[in-house]
Amino acid sequence: MRLNSQLVPAVLATTVIAAALAGCGNSTNTAANEPTLTIVSNVVGGKNPQENQAFADEIGQALHCKVNFINVPADYTQKVQSMMSSGQKLDVIYATGPDLAQLVKSGAVVDLQSKIQQSTVLNDKNVVPQWEWDDIKIPQTTGIYAVPVKYQGALMPIVRQDWMAELGLAQPKTLNDFYNVFQTIKQKKGVYGLTLSQIYDIEPFMSAVGIKNQYVMDNGKRTIPYASAAAIPVYEWLHKLFADQLLDPNFVTNKTSDERNLFLSGQVGMFNYWDAWVPMLNNLANTQGAAQGFDAEALPGAAGPDGKILVSTGDTSVWAMPKNAANPDLAFKFMEWWNTKPGEILGSLGVKGTDYTENNGQYQLTQTGTAENMDHGDPQPIDTGWKNPFPDLQKGYANAKQIGVKYGYQPYTLPDWNNANVIVAQYAVNAIMGKLSAQDAVSQMHAELLSKHLVDE
Amino acid sequence: MENTQQLAARTLSMKSKLKEQRKGKNKLAWTLYLMLVPTIVYFVILTYFPLLHAILISMQNFHMIGDRPFVGLQNYSQVLSDQTFWSTFGNTLFLGIGILLIGFVAPIVIALSLNELLQTWLKRTIQMIIYIPHLFSWVVVGGLWIYLLTPNTGLVNVVLKLLGIPQVQFMTDPNLARWVIILVSVWKDVGYNCILYLAAMVSINPALYESARIDGATRWNEMWHITLPSLGRTMQVVGLLSIMGILRLFDQIYVMRNAVIEPKVDVLMTYVFDQGFKQIDSIGQATASALLILLLSLFLTLFTRRLVRYDDM
Amino acid sequence: MNRRATRLGNVLFITVNLLFLLVICSSMIIPLWNAVAVSFSSNLASMQPGIQMWPRQFSFSGYKTIWSILAIWKPFENSAIVSVLGTLLHVFLCSLAGYALAQFHLPGRRWITSLILITMMIPFQAIMVPVYVTMQQLGLLNTLFALILAGTVSGFSILLMRNFFLSIPGEVLESATIDGAGHFRLYWNICIPLSKAGLATVALFEFVGRWNDILTTVLFINDPNNYTLQVALNSLISQGGSMSSGYIVTDNVKMAGIMIAILPLLLVYPFVQKYFVKGIFVGSAKE
Repeated sequence: MRLNSQLVPAVLATTVIAAALAGCGNSTNTAANEPTLTIVSNVVGGKNPQENQAFADEIGQALHCKVNFINVPADYTQKVQSMMSSGQKLDVIYATGPDLAQLVKSGAVVDLQSKIQQSTVLNDKNVVPQWEWDDIKIPQTTGIYAVPVKYQGALMPIVRQDWMAELGLAQPKTLNDFYNVFQTIKQKKGVYGLTLSQIYDIEPFMSAVGIKNQYVMDNGKRTIPYASAAAIPVYEWLHKLFADQLLDPNFVTNKTSDERNLFLSGQVGMFNYWDAWVPMLNNLANTQGAAQGFDAEALPGAAGPDGKILVSTGDTSVWAMPKNAANPDLAFKFMEWWNTKPGEILGSLGVKGTDYTENNGQYQLTQTGTAENMDHGDPQPIDTGWKNPFPDLQKGYANAKQIGVKYGYQPYTLPDWNNANVIVAQYAVNAIMGKLSAQDAVSQMHAELLSKHLVDE
Repeated sequence: MENTQQLAARTLSMKSKLKEQRKGKNKLAWTLYLMLVPTIVYFVILTYFPLLHAILISMQNFHMIGDRPFVGLQNYSQVLSDQTFWSTFGNTLFLGIGILLIGFVAPIVIALSLNELLQTWLKRTIQMIIYIPHLFSWVVVGGLWIYLLTPNTGLVNVVLKLLGIPQVQFMTDPNLARWVIILVSVWKDVGYNCILYLAAMVSINPALYESARIDGATRWNEMWHITLPSLGRTMQVVGLLSIMGILRLFDQIYVMRNAVIEPKVDVLMTYVFDQGFKQIDSIGQATASALLILLLSLFLTLFTRRLVRYDDM
Repeated sequence: MNRRATRLGNVLFITVNLLFLLVICSSMIIPLWNAVAVSFSSNLASMQPGIQMWPRQFSFSGYKTIWSILAIWKPFENSAIVSVLGTLLHVFLCSLAGYALAQFHLPGRRWITSLILITMMIPFQAIMVPVYVTMQQLGLLNTLFALILAGTVSGFSILLMRNFFLSIPGEVLESATIDGAGHFRLYWNICIPLSKAGLATVALFEFVGRWNDILTTVLFINDPNNYTLQVALNSLISQGGSMSSGYIVTDNVKMAGIMIAILPLLLVYPFVQKYFVKGIFVGSAKE
């Protein structure tokens, strides 16, 4: 409090100066008389400067303001940090779950809870279901500090269903079934059954022993199930895949884009990826000239001992409002609008005229729109009333989404996960490659996590 | 040989004569200061002033918005008590020294051997080719080498197979991967440093070679006794630059690391990045660790200068 | 006998030398050639793993995609402006400073040199935010001028130029000094013409560095109209790499982008290279 009283004069002085400056600015700007909404994002928007301008114009028209839409093409966190630290006033920023937690912790963003409760759009549980709000909540805080950008989806095995049908394979339910699928694909198609990239890609298989990714709180103590004895059989099973050459040996160095490329070009039978990607892979297969009959389909993870299946949902992606936003009301209006139909159309199909044309409610994708695959930041809006105008281009999505809704869980992220993940991944990979026995890998993993105070027991 | 010595002696005597003469012209120094003004202004405004600001930030519990309480050296002590900081420090030294030593010798060898080529077109072509990797970003070069080194399908392992040597898992063996990183780094930058040496060779007085040839020196003699000694100053610069560079190794590691090799190849700058820039709003600690790197570079440079005694730097 | 042995030795020397260089060169050509081959592959073929020495399915679709999505001229123009003006200014200012620091009798020379050396050890991450703030206070954010200004001088180039000036024979300078030439004239009329290889080196390094820069541009520029080629290409390419984007950028498009980005460098290089090769040739083969 004492600090605050000292700050008051300084803040006052700054405000006066700022007001004076703003006054100067306004006098030249009165002709337009429209406020400027500043939005910063890296994944939302068009694919090039022109499209981003059109994207901004579309938002501006809807909200009757000027829009300064800053699409950061690289080094996003560095740019956002620099802008905010220098005192630049941003109205809306895009963030993912872990970043939001940091922003909340440092008190940089506004609690939107009361505004959301008063909003006819956002408080409608048909538009934003309650569990979306639950996922956005930050552990150990009470407010709601952001609005979801899109339906975040879950990570699940995606398989070449056309191969499954051709080889007469049924949907795998146990680790053994999965093994058989990979083996048959290897024998008949001559390619690897499975590829991986990140360590969370093994979650559908960890599902077989019923353990979750990241942290699980056990009587208030932080535990990481991947580092527990329960995980050993799954590491052993994965090592068997590796030893029998059913698992792509380059899984350690793969990036997620490598996985997609391998899958699209028929070099692998299965990988673990987002539900929203199922239709996109199917569409891409058409436009990029993949094999005839290419059919990607999502699968549930392996069933646990009690028949329960787990697939993890991804980090949330959200809009947040910095505390020093110049136009907080406008910023909130934007967050509402993003979850109305015009906003959803912009976030998925894209910009009218560039990505699609509309005639009496009939939508038609342009060439650009087809290439961009109906993703401009919000490929699958949350709104339960949302219907994609191109059901033909949603092949496999309904099933995939169903799997996510039915079996999905939100991993418990703590800020320490970044550091813990490195250790988990390192030993897990060594176990899969057989450089360590699964037993040793797990005990060493656990010991190191414990010694670095990343778990409590 | 005689000629060489004479020439050297003459240059030396002239230098000292010139020095004496210039002593009387100190009033001309103001033009020299004038020449330095843009540089000094630039460094003051865009390097030293921000540096002071950075030192301030490193002592704050820095928030992007809101108050930024002063916490003294807390950020520094946090970094220094982090084991990861020290393990990345060890990795940095290993990789840095490897790159330093191999990267110091390689371009000299290549520049010398290029210099021995008589055909200008060949010289020109090879020189151009050697510089190519430097034009590519690390994203491209790193990705390419990961491909080249993959088991089974990678070019390197295909060649090994042809030679009857068993497959090597380069990028998943931490100790091998360290050497891969060192060699790929040298490979990428060899053309760059080569140019420095080639440019220095241009300024070697042709008379030295002429006289040596009259004395019946072989090409090997020429190379050893004339070319190499003339590169001394460039070697000092390249050496100094490399020493200052070793603590700032980043892009390559960032592109080439993976879960298995990370504990052995993560370096100080990836530490700074992972701590402060991968996640939002931890600038205070990240700045502190970056400033510690600056401090370490200063020590390292002072130390080597003691050791090697660069003439007059 | 002795002479023959020497001759044989020379032939052996040249052969081994040539072989050595050829091996090194082939390892350097592979990435370029692979990039070319992939850039001319069809979308699907480019996604297949492994090194391609020839397009598996010849196609222009990579280049076509870049062309249709990216209005390439504006970013290209920005890159050209920033790189050319920035490099000219850089070479001029660094050589001026290098000249001054090459004068042994300049009082305070050691101090200034040390301060310049220190700037080379500062990790950019340490001062990134403060530099951003300074740029903002100077009102330069979002202008091409900010990009030109960032890195106008560098310790590296100054040190390098200083060394080239130091290697100019004293006699040359002496005669000019006797003629009563001031420092500016010595610098401009004597040292600059004698240091073409040095200037070319600094110019080449700086040009390549500026042309390939991404972080500075991303930091200082918001307005897409001021994007440079690298950033525009990166925004196209990196989108496909991000987890949550449904847009996929196939490798042929990426490689086509990379080819477009390095083409100007490959074109500029031979002109700069002239200054190294000519000198070496004169130096070693003049008999």
